[in-house]
Amino acid sequence: MADIYTRMGDGKRVTMTKQQILDDMQAGTADAADMAGVPILDANELDKLLDIIADKNRIVGVEPGNEVVLTYDIGQLDFTGDNGNSGNGVDMGRLEAALLHERALGADTFELAHADYSIKPVKPVISNEMQTMEEIQNEIVIPYFYGAMPNMGLYYAPDGPYSNPADLMREFKIEESMAASEAAAEHLARDIEFVGTKIIAAGADGFNFDTTASAGDADCVGTFKGVEALRKACPDAYINVGMAGESVMGIHGMIEYDGQVVAGLYPHQQCKLAEKAGANVFGAVVNTNTSRSLAWNLARSVTFVKECVKESNIPVHVNMGMGVGGIPMCETAPNDAVTRCNKAMVEIAKVDGV
Amino acid sequence: MSKESLTQEAKAAVMSYNNKAAVEVANKAIAEGVDIVDVIQDGFTKGMTEVGTLFEQKKVYLPHVMAAAAAMNAAMDVLNPELEKLGSTVESALGTVVICTIEGDIHSIGKDIVAIMLKVTGFDVKNIGRDVPLDQIVEACEKYKPVAVGTSALMTSTMVHQKTLEEKLKAAGVRDKLLTNVGGAPVTQMWADEIGADLYTENASDATAKFAAAFEKK
Repeated sequence: MADIYTRMGDGKRVTMTKQQILDDMQAGTADAADMAGVPILDANELDKLLDIIADKNRIVGVEPGNEVVLTYDIGQLDFTGDNGNSGNGVDMGRLEAALLHERALGADTFELAHADYSIKPVKPVISNEMQTMEEIQNEIVIPYFYGAMPNMGLYYAPDGPYSNPADLMREFKIEESMAASEAAAEHLARDIEFVGTKIIAAGADGFNFDTTASAGDADCVGTFKGVEALRKACPDAYINVGMAGESVMGIHGMIEYDGQVVAGLYPHQQCKLAEKAGANVFGAVVNTNTSRSLAWNLARSVTFVKECVKESNIPVHVNMGMGVGGIPMCETAPNDAVTRCNKAMVEIAKVDGV
Repeated sequence: MSKESLTQEAKAAVMSYNNKAAVEVANKAIAEGVDIVDVIQDGFTKGMTEVGTLFEQKKVYLPHVMAAAAAMNAAMDVLNPELEKLGSTVESALGTVVICTIEGDIHSIGKDIVAIMLKVTGFDVKNIGRDVPLDQIVEACEKYKPVAVGTSALMTSTMVHQKTLEEKLKAAGVRDKLLTNVGGAPVTQMWADEIGADLYTENASDATAKFAAAFEKK
């Protein structure tokens, strides 16, 4: 059987036979189904996925009529950043980046972002951000949001006022660790309300929360509480809650939102709580395993996200970037993999946007 | 009470995160004169291993692992003086392991969990922290004379330091005296092979299995 050109999860080029790809797809969908308690992909879906992965063309695209909304996170940093995690190292202003995304890259929405891309460092410069928001809104046509990561790690020592839960855990100070997480979550919620209401007052069409729960379950609860407050203050704002991974890490272990323990929630469960908090759109995320093939990762990701789309009452815009959604984790994700993963998410998982 | 009942109680105490029950089992084992090494290995350690497995399956979370380890530690505080009197050991002969998150990288939770599970497995673990400069790692290897050194990297920009560490360990003349272990999200078996690391471990249970296998053979 002819070898098929494909990728590993770290971006390495490999060739596999059709049977090897099929075996990996079956193992990937089974892994997701087992973890989240969701159905595996059926035979037709696996056939379709195999066709997408084995396509002889380097770049693939969705069939006409299947196009979806294309949103972007991280603002201008995808151009300007060059710190080894993403970006092209092309310096430009935030206005130029916004207009390039709108007028050259087909973005249906875009966002303003601070260089640190986190809620906390925006607080002292909120006036500058408000001014820039107003200026860019005068030029741009597409919905223009503000974007930031909740990034609750910045609230812990040495960067913030609360003791580091990981350090406390290591010293077996379990209750103190939980208390630190809870205090940081309340602080994060207050900051989200402050930054969110200010920037929306300056003309932002909405707010994109990127990598929610990156610091674990308390980060998730803090963000949901912040979204709740923001929704109350700004009933018409467009709020996107994007996650950090397919499972909420239990750093606290028992913290709840709306009476539900959030540790261990999967995308089809996370989206329900995001909706309750006040989100208009949910950003599902599935992390890539660098030791596994594209076939394994993509089948696994589509399995999680398909169930999320099925269960969600609000649109699902899946995160499709470096190291998520089946896309390999390397500085510049290869286009053959990026386009295959996007096509599969749209045509099999039936996402509303990417 | 039979040894079997005691080992079951020991395992249950760890799996229910019950320090008091763990201490009671330890005291009973001493009072009844059963082989306390068996109670530790077949009871407390097995309970801890099961908690580790549940953690990998995302059925329990970090505080549960820590609470289980705390229960086991409470029991060991009671049992260690008895072990010393008897001149017995509980696989502590597995040796010392130096572990850290590598220079430039502050992500430490995964590394800390691996450290706890290796300690439970029977290694003397020297957890030297996060964002640890390479020269400091080499110094720790010279000081503690470990059987292995493990480094974690969560970013593609910091995993390259694992390769430099291999070279620095060679230059210091300690590389052939220990095994090197690499882990972290972007790290793969292929990367370990490429830089000449001895062990690639994906998570805490993978680490305990591979470390135990590597050092039981020696």
